[in-house]
Amino acid sequence: MKKHIQAFVLLFFATTLFAAAQSDNISPQRKQAIDSLALEKVKDLSKYISIIGSKETQFSEANRVMDRAEELFAPGAEMGVSSINSQEVAYYPVRRYFERLMALNYDNVKISWYDIHYISDLERQPDGRYVGVVTIYQRFEGTSAETGLNYKDTTKKDITIYVEKKQTQVAGRTIEFWDVMLGDIRVTETSA
Amino acid sequence: MKRLSLLVILIITSIQFAPGQGLYGPGQIKDDGRFAASTKQLNQFFRRFNAEESQDGLTRYYAGDEEYHNRELRTKYISLLFDNQTSNIPENLKQEFKDQVLSESYPQYLNFHRGNWFAEVSTVFQYKGKREDITLFMKLEEEGLGYEWVIDKVTFDSFKRFFDKADGNKKPFLHPLSHELGFMNLRKALQDNKKPESYTPDEFEPDYLTIFLYEIKNGNIKFETVKGVKFHFFQIDNWYFEVAQFNRPGFNTGWLVSNLSKYSDEKEKEVILNYIYDQE
Repeated sequence: MKKHIQAFVLLFFATTLFAAAQSDNISPQRKQAIDSLALEKVKDLSKYISIIGSKETQFSEANRVMDRAEELFAPGAEMGVSSINSQEVAYYPVRRYFERLMALNYDNVKISWYDIHYISDLERQPDGRYVGVVTIYQRFEGTSAETGLNYKDTTKKDITIYVEKKQTQVAGRTIEFWDVMLGDIRVTETSA
Repeated sequence: MKRLSLLVILIITSIQFAPGQGLYGPGQIKDDGRFAASTKQLNQFFRRFNAEESQDGLTRYYAGDEEYHNRELRTKYISLLFDNQTSNIPENLKQEFKDQVLSESYPQYLNFHRGNWFAEVSTVFQYKGKREDITLFMKLEEEGLGYEWVIDKVTFDSFKRFFDKADGNKKPFLHPLSHELGFMNLRKALQDNKKPESYTPDEFEPDYLTIFLYEIKNGNIKFETVKGVKFHFFQIDNWYFEVAQFNRPGFNTGWLVSNLSKYSDEKEKEVILNYIYDQE
């Protein structure tokens, strides 16, 4: 069903964006549509992070979800993590970050998200692709029954999005559409 | 077919309403206003400074929109864009700055692509087996079909210590008749002397960026991490301000003005730039 929905979304963007896709400029209306698509991808990522982090998720299922989550990203994407105590950024490939999340030693993990997000303007890169940043906030709570350890943090996630005009064939016609991929993510622990 | 159309319409409708509905549905945590108030990206600093977004940050205003560059909205925003907890910028200086940028006859705005602003990035590198702090100054430049950040200057104490040029009658020199001897004294100057920079002209300034790149290419400097970023703005006539990130509890957080100075001419601007770049 998900694949069907994605196909419809693609079709929607392809048809409604077709006329203006002739030009490389992004109008405010198109920007809004791209923002929505970017938010969908971020929402998918958030859902995957919650599943990967949950202790109720089987190992095989977590691996499958990690595969799906990785598909959201452009190749070579990294997570850059810093804490309140150390502003130095620790770098992890996206897959490694997910694996660390899965391996956290808590009996119960709860990952939730604040009802706030921010989407930057899109800027064009030298290669013609557009880049933007979506900011969201995540709450993490981990408890360990054995040690009584209870850890909580709130992190700000600044997520790179790459926006690219692509082409596809639909019924023999070449249709242009805008696609969104996720890129590097900066994770900052906040004081909240 | 009708069901298909209905489904497509449903999807379109849900996509278009997504931005206003928050991301995650039931179970999400309600922000108490702190994250909404925070200037979350430098992009938001630009938008707030110029009054180019709604107060909830969800609507971008464009030229032609009623609220775009609205003076009342800007007045509210700009007051919130100062670090009001630690930076100790005098109130009268802030007010003078605000009066100028909010002037009814000649309001001034920030522009992402107009230059006259740059980033200062504090980094850590491995150099000769030790962790060393190196500061990179980055500027935005037009390239190909868009823009890119490029490294404009580098400050690194270990490089600066290399170049310690004396002057006057204390400095080593090549005497003024060296040419008659075919500059044979270059051997003593360059082979035995620890300060070859002594033999450079008055106007000589070491180019640390070139040395930095050379050392990276030779594998002598290896990148480790980024420690912090701040931004320096010279876009407002006769004003310099610094923007830094404040990660702390409360409502006065995110990217905020941490330093503000007024200068009267290019010479004074040069003094500020020299202080920031710290090349001597």
